[in-house]
Amino acid sequence: MKKAFLILWLFVAISCFSQNKEVLYNFTSIPQSSLVNPGADVSYKFYFGFPLLSGVSANLGSSSFSAYDLFADNGVDFNQKVRNVVNRSSRNDKIITNQQLELFSGGFRIGDKEKRTYVSFGLYQEFDFFMYVPKDLAILALDGNRDYIGKSFNLGDLSLKAEMLSVFHVGIHKKFNDKLVLGGRAKIYSSGANATSTRNSGYIYTGQSAGTPNLYNQIISSNLELRTSGIATFTKDEYEGSEGTIAKDIVHNTFFNGSLGLGLDAGLTYYIKDNLQLTASIIDLGFIKQSKDIETLTYKGTYQYEGANPDFLGNNDPENVFDEFEAAIPRDTLYNKYTTLRPTKVYSSIQYSFGEYRPDDECSCKAQATKSYRNAAGIQLFGMSTPREPLVALTAFYQRKIFEKLDVKATYTFDTFSNKNIGLGISGTLGKFNMYALVNNILEYKDISKANSAAFQLGINFVFQDKED
Amino acid sequence: MKASLLARIPKIIFFSIFFLSCSSDLDFDQVKDLKLEPVFVANLAHFDIQANQLLDDGGTNIVYDVRDFDVFRDKFFNERLKKAEFDLEIENNIQRGFVVNLLLMNENDQVLETLSYSVPASTGGENVVKFPTEVYENQRLELLKQTAKIGFVVLITAGPPLNENSLGNLKLRSSATAYLVIE
Repeated sequence: MKKAFLILWLFVAISCFSQNKEVLYNFTSIPQSSLVNPGADVSYKFYFGFPLLSGVSANLGSSSFSAYDLFADNGVDFNQKVRNVVNRSSRNDKIITNQQLELFSGGFRIGDKEKRTYVSFGLYQEFDFFMYVPKDLAILALDGNRDYIGKSFNLGDLSLKAEMLSVFHVGIHKKFNDKLVLGGRAKIYSSGANATSTRNSGYIYTGQSAGTPNLYNQIISSNLELRTSGIATFTKDEYEGSEGTIAKDIVHNTFFNGSLGLGLDAGLTYYIKDNLQLTASIIDLGFIKQSKDIETLTYKGTYQYEGANPDFLGNNDPENVFDEFEAAIPRDTLYNKYTTLRPTKVYSSIQYSFGEYRPDDECSCKAQATKSYRNAAGIQLFGMSTPREPLVALTAFYQRKIFEKLDVKATYTFDTFSNKNIGLGISGTLGKFNMYALVNNILEYKDISKANSAAFQLGINFVFQDKED
Repeated sequence: MKASLLARIPKIIFFSIFFLSCSSDLDFDQVKDLKLEPVFVANLAHFDIQANQLLDDGGTNIVYDVRDFDVFRDKFFNERLKKAEFDLEIENNIQRGFVVNLLLMNENDQVLETLSYSVPASTGGENVVKFPTEVYENQRLELLKQTAKIGFVVLITAGPPLNENSLGNLKLRSSATAYLVIE
């Protein structure tokens, strides 16, 4: 069962978008919305997340193909499908996975209600994978160079990074007055495993020009670099574990023996008018100093292949292609610490609220009930740093309070992955028990395998408000 | 009791999302069918002999050289090479005819195969001969894979003597095409 669950999970991951959490953003009845904007207008007396179940999210996207394109059981030859996907992709198409699991989380208000200052904290595990489609290398592997005389295969197409980390965070936000909420969050990252290969360049070239002594002009110019942290041990013959223990060891390192880093989130909510709200946040402005079990592999150099070249002078200088190649483009292993930047995300939104909400079953005897609205609509912007150009997304949203404690939000997002990504979220509170579920790309759920991206988040919290309310 | 019920809720939501959604049949086992069939071209050998290097009395003469050719030592390449082709052209601007022999030899200098190409003497105009493609498959390919050295034997056929003032040159250019199957 556990295995089936895992496979299903993996499938979700494989069928699924980037780190944009457009449905969660500013969905303030969910305490976890302060993770995407520490200055979100969230209030509570105290809350804690159901351990391991307070925040589960996974998303994966690929901007140029879906799981269906590759794995459809439709009789088309798999190699043809791979070829179609490669042909359709460009070097700027990306494949992204992000998964997060909150181990624990909680928050409390400092002082009495009027101070409106809140602290929140938690520990979550995160896995990130980001890769550009290595188009030229894929063509080279599929077709070879024969039909590409004169083409320079770009080694810079190879760009990827992966990281497994845990994040401990403490945040504070304060509602200074009825108009302004400011918040910040400090994060300590502990990276159990990191692999980064984003600074590659070079080319593989086969050309032909008249008047040269050889049929082809063949050059490999390589500037490849793979930096790893927390991985080298597992690649060595001396490592005594099995595949199962690798996962266990990585998890252990992630929480107890990782490379450390620091990060910062900041955000604000500003009410321009009672019913017009502006928010902005920056998330994961931080770095990790990769220092544990580090190993960097490089292949740097230039090699020109001439073939055999007898000179008939009677001296056989031994020619050894492999030795020459290895001398020209040596594999070097370095053990330098390196610093990686976290993928930094920025969000902003503007929201207009309308339709005053009056719970008709309750008495309106509260002395100073704050006005609340039934509907809200607006626009959100999202941006994320990547090794090349930043990823951006634009979201229109509508949020509605169905009952006092039941909110729904719908989003329509345009991004690299889709221009008709509809998301839905629901957050309900029964007594102290808050539960939420958010999914995006619901149109694709009619055939999830054809989705370029999908994401879900769900979680359970116990939220305590002041009794007198 | 209550806790286990609570624990079940996200699973229920999780599964209901997936039962509500549909998915075309996917077959991940197809990865096993992945078969790459790239075709690579590469230089094989080349030389450029000046006529004045070939001091010769006008009779039949031989110049000889041997070069290491160790690409087949690479196991990955050797095992996945399913077909190979050699293309060769010789340009002769010398007033003598030549026969160029390529000897494919194993590590013990045993000749596995001899490729022989003859070009007529130059008569002043362009004198480039492109030879038919040598195709290596099956048995012939297996023999080729044992190649560790290539011997180059150039026979100069009888004609006007050559000395340090002789003009022209003999050029060989060749390429190999490798058909790989990577499964």
